[in-house]
Amino acid sequence: MIRRLLIGAACCCNLVAATVDAQTSTVQTGRIEVAGGGGLFSGGQLGNSDASLRANALTPAPYRLFTTTSSFATTPLVEGRVSVAVSRRLAVEGRFGFSRPELRTSISADAEAGNSITAVERIDRYMIDGGVTFTLDDLRWGELVPYAAGGVGYLRELHEGQMLIQQGHSYHVGGGVRRRLFVHDRRVVKSGGVRGDVRVYLLSGGAAFDTATHARVAVSGSFFVGF
Amino acid sequence: MTAAQRRVTLVCLIALLMLASRPAAAYLNLSEDVRGQVVRLKWNTTPRWFASNRSIPRVSASDFQAAVARAFATWQAVPTASLSLQFVGFTSAAPFEDDGISVLGFESRPELERVLGATDFVIDTVTGEIVESDIFFNSAFEWSVAPGGTSAAFDLQSVATHEIGHFLGLGHSALGETETNPEGGRRVLASGAVMFPIAFGRGNTADRELQPDDIAGISDLYPASAFRARTGVLRGRVRRNGQPVFGAHVIAFNPATGESIGGFALGADGDFQIAGLTPGPHVVRVEPLDDADVESFFDRGVDTNFAVTFYERLFVAPAGGVGEHIDVGVRPK
Repeated sequence: MIRRLLIGAACCCNLVAATVDAQTSTVQTGRIEVAGGGGLFSGGQLGNSDASLRANALTPAPYRLFTTTSSFATTPLVEGRVSVAVSRRLAVEGRFGFSRPELRTSISADAEAGNSITAVERIDRYMIDGGVTFTLDDLRWGELVPYAAGGVGYLRELHEGQMLIQQGHSYHVGGGVRRRLFVHDRRVVKSGGVRGDVRVYLLSGGAAFDTATHARVAVSGSFFVGF
Repeated sequence: MTAAQRRVTLVCLIALLMLASRPAAAYLNLSEDVRGQVVRLKWNTTPRWFASNRSIPRVSASDFQAAVARAFATWQAVPTASLSLQFVGFTSAAPFEDDGISVLGFESRPELERVLGATDFVIDTVTGEIVESDIFFNSAFEWSVAPGGTSAAFDLQSVATHEIGHFLGLGHSALGETETNPEGGRRVLASGAVMFPIAFGRGNTADRELQPDDIAGISDLYPASAFRARTGVLRGRVRRNGQPVFGAHVIAFNPATGESIGGFALGADGDFQIAGLTPGPHVVRVEPLDDADVESFFDRGVDTNFAVTFYERLFVAPAGGVGEHIDVGVRPK
């Protein structure tokens, strides 16, 4: 049943797979692979911030007018990848990701009993990163071949209304598994399959409220074809 | 004084403890109705000021001049404002005289038992330009110019910083909190602007330093070249049941910087505008000036029949220009 579903998915990508060849992890140097898919990008806290006033005291502690707690919500993610094999196991990979997380700021403890609400806005998040993937042949499990990945990237976040762009950068480490569904040595599209990725991103800058580095997790699945 | 000039008196700073006031928000530009147009009062030439040669106990004329000069320098040092100020010298002239020169000095006004200082103006009623401004400091109170303040006296530099804000064309900010005294009246708990109308207590020197609301206000009035390009403007309106709310106080709070800057809904349609916002998301809070000393801000009544309300979206201030217009609906109390 699993195999039938995977074949169906491959057909959706306009790939004709007459047979599913035996899985192989060997890749010719210079071969290009293109992948597209989607997943989830985790949210996370952005911290607390008080609207404070200067207190009327000789040793003043700030007077809090109200307090805010901000966070990014977990959001769906779409992504595309291009990789080039530089050896049997090592590939250089570029990735483009897009997501639209909601920035949520919860407001509470108003000094004048103002309503407690969560104010929101939608962020358009673009990520372009580059890195390497290293195939872990020794750890293959059946037809699933694991790999490790790491790299750096550029973060571009557009606030609602497209009136403000904030930029940052990212580092990521992670890995995943690949399963090749077909191989055609004599066609333009020489192979195809699916892959699953889990990555930990360390983001700094962008729409974050501070200069700290924030860890986020991206989980995604993709279809890939090799040329 | 010519026929086109008019003296406008603004009593600005009121001593602690007794004034009825409520917290609110925002810098406010002084303005005048000039031939049917509301014109912001400001200097179009370099203000030249004189220091009175009157001394009082513990404050010599030179001490006075030095403290006031530091206060002027505080405003002049705002990087996003373009201000040029010039000290001319000492004078035997008193503040509030129609003498064509701007004089700052002490005056004994014991009958003004809540007034630490006041600023008045001569304006050109054709252009709205300030052509003269005087400040008096009430020597009926104890004053200090000590670097760290003196517990029994009001800090001259702090009060001068407030009054010079008026001298330059700023009105009062309502960004502050007060409480009722058991014996009557109110005292200020905290403020978010040097331009808050109620002074801190004796010995407190905190208002020697400007706050973001003051900086936005002076920069909006005398913008340096980069100010408009690097900061954003919030425009919107406050309405209750579809009707404009006049005089509502609006605070824009930036969670990333902790800055609060405000404005008032003064337009016919409940419109407001707040300039000088650091680019990024802002929480917008609207509150009534319900039991405030409204006369410290406006010469007409304001609508206070609504509850404190937060706007349900985050407002994003752009880096230069005006962000998306917002409509804040408030509920009746």
